[in-house]
Amino acid sequence: MARGEEVGRDAGDARPDTRRPDRTAPTRWLERRALALLGVATVLVLAVVFYYPVLTVFADAVRVGGEWTGEVVRGVLEDPFYFGVLAPIFGGDFGAISEVAAESPLGLFGFTAYQALLSTIASVALGLPGAYVLSRYEFPGRRTVRSLTILPFVMPSIMVAIGFVAFFGANGPLNDLLALFGLGPVNLLFTLEAIVVAHAFYNAPLVARVTTAAWESVDARMVETARSLGANPWHAFRDVLVPQLLPAILTGALLTFIFTFMSFPIVLALGGFQLATVEVWVYSLVQELEYAEAAALAVAETVLSLALTYAYLRYEARQSGGGRAANPPPRKRLLPDSPSLLAALERVGVLAYAAVVAVVFVGPIASMVAESVTGPSGFTLQYYEFLVQRQAEGASFQTKPGVAVRNSVAFGVATLLVALPMGVTISVLTTRGSRGSRLADAAAMAPFAVSGVVVGLGMLRGLVFGVEVWGYRLQVTGPVAIVAAHGVAAYPFVVRNVAPLLGGLDRSLVESARALGATRVRALLDVELPMVASGVAAGTAFAFAISIGEFDSTVILATGSSSYTMPVAVERYIGNRTLGPATAMGTVLLAVTSLSFVVVDRLGGRWEA
Amino acid sequence: MKRRTLLKHGGTATVIGLAGCTGGGEQGTTTEETTATTTETTTETTTETTEETETATEQSLSGTLKVATYSSFVDAPSSSPGPWLKEEFEKRHPDVTVEYETPDNELNYYIQQQSQGVDIDTDVYVGLNVDHLLRIDEKLGDDALFAPMADSLSNYEHVKESLTFDPQQRAIPYDTGYISLVYDGNEVEQPPETFEDLLADRYEGDLIVQNAKTAATGRAFLLWTVKTLGEDQYLDYWKDLESNGLRILGSWDDAYTAWENGEAPMVVSYSTDQVYANRYDQDMSKHQIGFLNGQGYANPEGMAKFADTDRPEIAEAFMDFVLSKKAQGEIAVRNVQFPATDWADLPAEFEQYAKVPDDPVTFTYEELQGNLDGWVDSWARQIAGGR
Repeated sequence: MARGEEVGRDAGDARPDTRRPDRTAPTRWLERRALALLGVATVLVLAVVFYYPVLTVFADAVRVGGEWTGEVVRGVLEDPFYFGVLAPIFGGDFGAISEVAAESPLGLFGFTAYQALLSTIASVALGLPGAYVLSRYEFPGRRTVRSLTILPFVMPSIMVAIGFVAFFGANGPLNDLLALFGLGPVNLLFTLEAIVVAHAFYNAPLVARVTTAAWESVDARMVETARSLGANPWHAFRDVLVPQLLPAILTGALLTFIFTFMSFPIVLALGGFQLATVEVWVYSLVQELEYAEAAALAVAETVLSLALTYAYLRYEARQSGGGRAANPPPRKRLLPDSPSLLAALERVGVLAYAAVVAVVFVGPIASMVAESVTGPSGFTLQYYEFLVQRQAEGASFQTKPGVAVRNSVAFGVATLLVALPMGVTISVLTTRGSRGSRLADAAAMAPFAVSGVVVGLGMLRGLVFGVEVWGYRLQVTGPVAIVAAHGVAAYPFVVRNVAPLLGGLDRSLVESARALGATRVRALLDVELPMVASGVAAGTAFAFAISIGEFDSTVILATGSSSYTMPVAVERYIGNRTLGPATAMGTVLLAVTSLSFVVVDRLGGRWEA
Repeated sequence: MKRRTLLKHGGTATVIGLAGCTGGGEQGTTTEETTATTTETTTETTTETTEETETATEQSLSGTLKVATYSSFVDAPSSSPGPWLKEEFEKRHPDVTVEYETPDNELNYYIQQQSQGVDIDTDVYVGLNVDHLLRIDEKLGDDALFAPMADSLSNYEHVKESLTFDPQQRAIPYDTGYISLVYDGNEVEQPPETFEDLLADRYEGDLIVQNAKTAATGRAFLLWTVKTLGEDQYLDYWKDLESNGLRILGSWDDAYTAWENGEAPMVVSYSTDQVYANRYDQDMSKHQIGFLNGQGYANPEGMAKFADTDRPEIAEAFMDFVLSKKAQGEIAVRNVQFPATDWADLPAEFEQYAKVPDDPVTFTYEELQGNLDGWVDSWARQIAGGR
């Protein structure tokens, strides 16, 4: 916090400041308006790489053959296949409700929401204990483990599918293991359960990470105060600690729900077409170039996601209490200092949780890696040899692993430079605002709430094909477009990690700094951000992860160039009859991202208190 | 859906790109040409400054030929025909460079470009099937994406009549696959002989197919059921298949991986499966081919010349080369599909392991016209919805 005090000293000292050269007027002017300028830049980037492309696709839902029409949207809303019993209600045909209820009560949207709800519950149940262990325990390698929690989040769905089919399969290691204990066999694959577990694999880390950030910045003194006033531990936990954590948990749940509602490749690979989601439909309609119906479905998806987001933000705004300081309780050791029954029970719980983690996370990842060194006749390094050979001899039109690695890392770093300023700017602008700012905040979450298939299609039309302006065709492709697209996809995570903590800060700190002559930006950089460092660090990790794992937009914007990334390479190496090269590339992806996360976290950690 | 009112005129293509942070400089080019006329101009991305004139002679072809295709045609780890074709063709025409383009959304990329009035700078598309043609004709109508070709190809006479699938002769077949069942002979003692057999209790939970909406093999299998059982019966048949524990996964990869891992003993795939099994030294008894009713659903692949190409002679030469005796054998072996011509030399390995059905079946363009979307859509709505 030394830098925070500087502000006070600067303004308080009567002597001229000798440590810092007198700043020139333009710089001062810039600093004063930095937030406004950042705001304008953010809006511009969003308009070009997100709103314009997406709106051109959404327009297809209401513009058919050059005419404005509500027919397509109405057709979708009144179709029981999509909306189940809601369809006759939307259509005002109340007599048909019972008939539809017997035929398809849920409809595609209802089923997708049901699936997303189950997935969310599973992700929270699996993520919360992880957050508890990571934030309350001290053990060797804790920070590294914390860095790696986000790893599943970036795995291309094809790799997750390979890992799951290998690990949970009828002849997989899990069933072999269960057989040792005389249990099983478990047939998890191609069921709703498989989808739910895979979604938990993806999203429990997200829940854990967001909650860990909040847990590490709770104010333990409030709990102690409650205890000293006679509250028992349970009451102190329920009435004091839970309210401090709930916003973060619900953030994780909301993001998970939206994610799993819009999930699609994993659904087909592990569940099957019988369990298709809305997004599966959007994808196949786009494939068939049936844009009007695809756009109508995507609009309905977005309305649902944004409505949920808005409802949540209203709740979050009511929560942001005045002025907590981050003051977490001391961490526990894995071996309790003073043995007691309760402490022992808790450690047993931690062990059981570790076993679950081993099955859900380590199993599939290890199986995927094992596939990359297993040939038709046992252990082999031939797939890695292929990667090396392709790197050395690949033709210009072929995908080279080295180029993919380099691009992924470069785009990841560049994304941070875009997403962090964007996310922090939006957090500042929407924190502690009126109802209007809630709407703005919900709108800022839009990139997260729009189907990836639609974003990809919009980018293809709006950026890759470009627009004709006065006889010039403006196109935006290549690395700049990819980084911008990643930045847009990533900044909502920065916002969701930073804004709640920023909202919880004590206003008087900023006001004092401002009163003492610091500009708004200076106060933000020197006072506020250091106090919400854990949120910024989590946001950074997410932004990097989103960039590394992004597929939909990247594959479209990288068309015809060498700007492909690791997930794109994995997909392109899925060749005829052998998953070897794809799993080898996937293993490289895992290694590179693991290393990157540890580095990103360490760099962020130097900045954390 | 024709929202096209744009005048086509080659203006300036301004590509905003940054080559800074990745070092790859291909994208960062800003090519500028000013034209006072409204004629089509092409922006050459090569550094050659030779002006392409329309008087390219037959003997000396020169320039860059842009060939679009699906990515496994050029990039598959095993053995893609793409690199070989490029090398051989360039050997024959030293002044020609073949450039491959593999957009992720394949043919749709070009249909979308055409419908948005973007100039297409690509010359040949490799990897068309009859569904693609229906989609092009439905979406673009008279706005021709490809030009009729057959008459200008000297090797066209060798193409098997039974494999031609485009009434307008734009798409020229260069290879074909047959969709069949692939089953594990160690698990399935008596393989199913007919579609009816698949409903028997014996095969409960034994078959994996692909989503007919987005996967070619899944769509072929669906059409095969329509062909065999009729359009009034096929949906009921699928209902029965489902109650017999059928699994419908997303892509061919999803399905084949699950089958290889022993999740079910039968999968819908290609009748050339044993060629791979032999190449990768796999247990041949695990890779058995099952032709239901002695049939396999033929899925020929074609190539076509873009109507707007500025290099028609090179495009024709390339397509003729693809139909040549030597290339036909190479493509078959590398793409693991059957040649589309009658004169390809195939190695013994291929003859031995690539199985041909006694009775190949397929729907013609005319039979599918106006029906295909309805058939697939009714099927999809019956299957999905997570009841």
